[in-house]
Amino acid sequence: MSDGYSDFTCLQLERHGHVGWLINDRPDQLNAMNNTMRDEFAQAWLELDADPKVRVIVHTGNGRAFQTGVDVSEIASDGVGMERYRRSMEEFDVHFTAWHQGVAKPVITAVNGLCAGGAFHWVADADIVIAASDAQFFDPHVSVGQVVAIEAIGLLRKMPFEAVMRMALLGRHERMSAQRAYELGMISQVVDPPEKLREAAQELAEKIARNSPAAMAASKRALWRALELGLTDACRAGALDLVSMWGHPDQTEGPRAFADKREAEWVDPASAASNDALPHSP
Amino acid sequence: MSDATGLVVERHGPVGWLIFDRPQAGNAMDAAMLDALPKAWRELDDDPDVRVIVNTGNGRNFQTGLDVVQLSRDPEALREQSRRTKRAELLISPWHNRVATPVIAAVNGSCAGGGLHFVADADIVIAASDATFLDPHVSIGQVTAYEAIALTRKMPFEAVMRMALTGRHERVTAERAYQLGMISEVVDPPERLRDAAQGLAEKIARNSPAAMAVSKRALWRALELGLTDACRAGALDLVSMWGHPDQTEGPLAFAEKREAAWSTAPPPPEPDLPEDLR
Repeated sequence: MSDGYSDFTCLQLERHGHVGWLINDRPDQLNAMNNTMRDEFAQAWLELDADPKVRVIVHTGNGRAFQTGVDVSEIASDGVGMERYRRSMEEFDVHFTAWHQGVAKPVITAVNGLCAGGAFHWVADADIVIAASDAQFFDPHVSVGQVVAIEAIGLLRKMPFEAVMRMALLGRHERMSAQRAYELGMISQVVDPPEKLREAAQELAEKIARNSPAAMAASKRALWRALELGLTDACRAGALDLVSMWGHPDQTEGPRAFADKREAEWVDPASAASNDALPHSP
Repeated sequence: MSDATGLVVERHGPVGWLIFDRPQAGNAMDAAMLDALPKAWRELDDDPDVRVIVNTGNGRNFQTGLDVVQLSRDPEALREQSRRTKRAELLISPWHNRVATPVIAAVNGSCAGGGLHFVADADIVIAASDATFLDPHVSIGQVTAYEAIALTRKMPFEAVMRMALTGRHERVTAERAYQLGMISEVVDPPERLRDAAQGLAEKIARNSPAAMAVSKRALWRALELGLTDACRAGALDLVSMWGHPDQTEGPLAFAEKREAAWSTAPPPPEPDLPEDLR
């Protein structure tokens, strides 16, 4: 147990101030996801989202890779292989990203080193993505006879389509630099030197943590829902999110703190989760 | 295929080339080319030896849209094209023709108006450094719709709207198109465009044709659906490939440090989608 979280074997959970850290911790396997890690992700996102002291979550990796997809050696050697996932995949009943788990708090993915194949799940499903200057992005699925679908589908809603398709079709024969990812708007910050990545992520998260947790949760909900709908429908639903926040204590506290030139004292996100302080999805 | 069609179809190794060949008319589409395009896409898509298709133009233009002058002299062809346009039954681009093979548009020179169909509907787009993009429809009293709509799904909206509204009075450079993510490579000097396209296509040709066809289907379908529905459908595409011989051959070839010998079996058919995703 550390900081009150469960003991995980493939993930490391930490809390630094208002920032909860989820760190991929299978560096010798380039943080590839085996069965245990897959289960631990589901649990870890929920624990961080429920922790009242955490306002922003940062996701990164230990070692020279951020993440490299499914652990192919386990798939190849355990006699069950991908078939284990057939039912859950056919029903799209998966639980390893913040989006899958309905995390309400802002999530920053901080890409250290290699980001390959299934790793794009956590790029596509984060709210904000930053990367070390030596990070490299590529999607080798089609080079080993696998289909790329879900993570690329998430990405193509959020950045130019052509770049996503080029990565999907080039496979392991081309890599995208952090600089190009930044130009394309896939990420919003390149951290140089790479060793400063965690420091930069913590600093960014602390800025975000100064904002109203409830207002951010409702905004996040409105913006992600917009990816599900046509423009007018997304605005109609978003208008209800907007109004859902009216009367919330943060709407009085925010302007008052600004006028008083002091930091706002927001309603805690956890008390929000446990009572009605967080506006419900309209 | 004969020159009368306005198209040249070639094969170089695993790469099929579809080349617009009416350089004297800016490669604009006349009745013969409109008729030849679906056949050319089908011929290349159905050829198992063609793993990737490159689409480019002869002369100083890539493609400049419908040849309205020629079509005005051929009322029957014009009527047919109008009918298809009205019913959204255009059959000019790889997307219209449901091409399953990866398609690279290699834009040489000007790409104007209806030429943007071939940019919007390609999987990958590269351009010569002197290529330009413009949409003159509104400058001659025409509406721009299909090409621009597809582009708005694939790149920043404002840039597409600016192109639609400035008409022939402004051009997007290859460099700006690269910055915007409309294209992924600027080839300089321009004379190297075809070499670059062939090289890129040969890299892609090293990947599993079946896995690429299914991935392409999943990603293009995603433009039709909301995010969750697109993922639900994409998950079925993903699973449809399980058990295909390429899934054994891929990792095996990688472990043995040799090129994969991909199956010539067709890709798995489109999965039965639940009713709400059709």
